[in-house]
Amino acid sequence: MTDPRRARYVALFAAESRSLLASAQRSLSNWLDAPAEQGPAEEIFRALHTIKGMSASLGFDDLTAQVHEAETVLAEVRSGEKVADHRWLSSLEEILDRIAAGAEQVIAAEHADDGDRKNDGGGRKAQVVRVDLDRLDGLLEDLGALVTARQELERHAMRDGFSPMARSAVAMSRRLDALQDRIVHVRLAPLGEVLERLPSLVRDLARQLGKDVTVDISGEDLEVDRAILALLPEPLMHLLRNAVDHGIEAASERTAAGKRPTGRITVRARRERDSVVVELADDGRGIDREAVARRAAGKGLLEEGVALTDDGLLAILAKPGFSTSDKVSEISGRGVGLDTVVARLHDVGASLALTTVPGRGTSFSLRLPTRLGIVRALVASIGEERYVMPLTHVNELVAWEPGESRQEGGRTVIEVRGETLPVVDLRRLLQYRGGAAPERRPAVIFEAHGERIALLADQVQGQVDAVIQPMDRPVGLPRWITGATVLDDGHPALLLDLASVV
Amino acid sequence: MAHRILICDDAIFMRTMIADILTGAGYEIAGEAESGLQAVERYKALKPDLVTMDIVMPDMGGIDAVKAIIAVDPDAKILMCSAMGQQQLVVEAVQAGAKDFVVKPFQPARVLDAVKRLLGE
Repeated sequence: MTDPRRARYVALFAAESRSLLASAQRSLSNWLDAPAEQGPAEEIFRALHTIKGMSASLGFDDLTAQVHEAETVLAEVRSGEKVADHRWLSSLEEILDRIAAGAEQVIAAEHADDGDRKNDGGGRKAQVVRVDLDRLDGLLEDLGALVTARQELERHAMRDGFSPMARSAVAMSRRLDALQDRIVHVRLAPLGEVLERLPSLVRDLARQLGKDVTVDISGEDLEVDRAILALLPEPLMHLLRNAVDHGIEAASERTAAGKRPTGRITVRARRERDSVVVELADDGRGIDREAVARRAAGKGLLEEGVALTDDGLLAILAKPGFSTSDKVSEISGRGVGLDTVVARLHDVGASLALTTVPGRGTSFSLRLPTRLGIVRALVASIGEERYVMPLTHVNELVAWEPGESRQEGGRTVIEVRGETLPVVDLRRLLQYRGGAAPERRPAVIFEAHGERIALLADQVQGQVDAVIQPMDRPVGLPRWITGATVLDDGHPALLLDLASVV
Repeated sequence: MAHRILICDDAIFMRTMIADILTGAGYEIAGEAESGLQAVERYKALKPDLVTMDIVMPDMGGIDAVKAIIAVDPDAKILMCSAMGQQQLVVEAVQAGAKDFVVKPFQPARVLDAVKRLLGE
């Protein structure tokens, strides 16, 4: 195929057929919730019909025939000849999956034909370009070096007052801000790329386990950095497997408990300040705290008779090798453990929280940073060592003197405007063995897991745009150190993940 | 002056392809619509010389759009563009006032033929 126009048609076909199939799959998942509805049938039909028209126009005859056949199957129900029961809907789901696979195949074959022929570039529509993620990473690295250089330049410019050079430096800084914004944007991708695959996955799992489960997805338009998106499928799969296998009860058990027989899993994404939170909730039996506590005690992970909070529960469940299920089922027995899931999330600055209510269900919240690479951060020091912490978690700074803290319930606390906050001393956390602490110290008040905490440093030096470099993690490095950066004077500093300090 | 044509189809793909065929033959694209409702609105606003109309679209299908357009302009020249399997609907569309139809996949010659005929060229 040497027609440059065709490349453009194929690109449009790829984009539109993928989005139509995704929406057809969404309609199907609504339909599974309410088989008596007619709306989903019409939506799916429209999607298929449009795909068929495009496919026929490009001469993809096999795919066209395949879609045409699907339309015929759908017609039985649209005409009222047949009733959409679960079995019929499952077969429709398989048909949609096969069409999706068929479409990917013809698209791939076309690209192979295409070689590296250039796009004609004369399109009337916005053109989409695929870029290797490595190249984007390279761009981010260069930008990082620029941002560091800029901070140094700004420091000199500030001493220089209002000289022409200082003014140029400020002007350049502004352009650099805009560039930084653009590059970060280029890396963003919608959560939908991962979330849209979940419903069919859950239905497969449910089928294998003989359970009845529906899935609701929302917030798929929210965008996160591609590198973060790429890490999501594994933890989500893990949590979904657990929800279907252990969370959702058998239909008979649900009916006996006064619930509707079909289990429900919702995956909702929402924006919260600089993060995107993906909440994955089931309406199953909830996690049995006592059983977990007993098992943990049996393994020597917990003292006998301790009541577990939600956070405590998650901490225990995330211990390597801990599992509550006596018989590891085929489904949940596979794949990585929750410990690995939690560790991987931490590596990209993401965190996990858990809420569970007996008989009502379990909900996991994944808090994801939306952008990687550059974070607005606070620089604090202990002795000569400097540390940076993302400002997203920091609420305020207060001055602290030793006389102000007291012991309460086994931990050190201070009062800040009538509020009692637990105190964490960075010196103790780091096992710092240098000189003595200054008398008066700043306390960084930050928020983690819904709690406000005071972190004592020796000094706070101000804010920077920290360019975070991933690092090889030496053995024994605490998990709350998540990266490193180079400060504007050329000295390195470690990045503290405040959410995992506690 | 070149004849101005309004293209109605819910797929960008189809609109692009039809626009390519028409502009290649020297026609001007007056505008595009991606639903029946939009088609009616744009028809009123743009007063095109001819409309190409898909049948299966969200928010009012092509046939209802034909009826609504014929109601405001009985002389409207509407060319139905449908995928195979919609023969029954094509008949309905012609009864509603559409002047001709072409079937996807489009053969450029067939599309241009129908357009020329409708425009009396």
